[in-house]
Amino acid sequence: MKVINKYKVIIAVVLPILILVLIRSFGANHFKSDAKRWAEPSVLRSNIITGDQFGTLTGDKLIINLGKAVSGIYNMNIDELNIPADSILSKNHLKTIRKHDGPVLLFSSETAVSSRIWMVLSQMGYQNIFILANDSDNEVLKYKFQPDTLVRPEL
Amino acid sequence: MNTRGKFSAGLLCLGFILALLPLSANWSFTIKPQKLLPKVLDDKTYFTVDQVARFVVSEDTTVQIIDLRSPKEFRAVNIPGSINVPYDKLLNNALGSILSNGNIKNIFYSNSDFDSNYALVIAGGLNYKNIYVMKGGLNEWFNTVMNSSFSGERISARENALFETRTRARKMFTELNSLPDSLKLKFIETKHIASKKLDGGCE
Repeated sequence: MKVINKYKVIIAVVLPILILVLIRSFGANHFKSDAKRWAEPSVLRSNIITGDQFGTLTGDKLIINLGKAVSGIYNMNIDELNIPADSILSKNHLKTIRKHDGPVLLFSSETAVSSRIWMVLSQMGYQNIFILANDSDNEVLKYKFQPDTLVRPEL
Repeated sequence: MNTRGKFSAGLLCLGFILALLPLSANWSFTIKPQKLLPKVLDDKTYFTVDQVARFVVSEDTTVQIIDLRSPKEFRAVNIPGSINVPYDKLLNNALGSILSNGNIKNIFYSNSDFDSNYALVIAGGLNYKNIYVMKGGLNEWFNTVMNSSFSGERISARENALFETRTRARKMFTELNSLPDSLKLKFIETKHIASKKLDGGCE
């Protein structure tokens, strides 16, 4: 008691700051610091799982269907949840994702939606989240350009 | 304990707090997830390839088209008027200099829909405004603009306008990307300088 009394000013200043920093550092509903680190899997493309690679994932898989289209993975042993993209950040849904012990796969008929949700969740510190993509969906140009050497552009 | 002791104890606690704080070199999103989500799910963040083709054909200076692919891919083919900011470079906090003009619409594109949409979320998380994505990427550009054709006996005015824009955009794309690499880069640079002069800006 004597000690607390002696340092009451320091405690009164430092304690609230410490609590706020701890909440900020370890809280589940904030974006993490170092955004580049949390975006890294998107650069390495390690966050995309195609149908062929699906079987290589270990652990209990959870598919989150962000839209109305069916994921196409018909397997009685795989959990699939329908969560509209705009409610993915609700407490219950985040709790489900956080508590799931295994890979979580985001599926949408629109690659844009699943990519955006992946980035939001990844920046919040959720690891083990993947985008379930069609085999043909990846960052490869599917067309070959045929140059026409007779034309010249105007400046 | 005397003043020195109290001061030391205070410094120790502050040091502990500072250790938990993020390094200033690391950048992070500045808005909360609940605020970012509706922004990134807004349909108004998409432009179709036809809309982008119209910007290209009219050489709209209120639009900045950003190619997120590698420099090699950009040199091979790119949308006329676009600038190249590879996605991995963008993660080195390169957005500030590119998105600094709040009056310009910034449209990200890549080959498909992954990188462009990641970039949109990152820019949104850093609270930049006027950010968009060309839906479908360059693959959709080829599918819609480059491989566009008309069949049938009648064409409506609207279809005609669309077809004309696509034809002109295809012509501009072919003219630019048919140049040899050395000339192409020079041409792109000269175009950028010319458009900046038009805006009253400088290098």
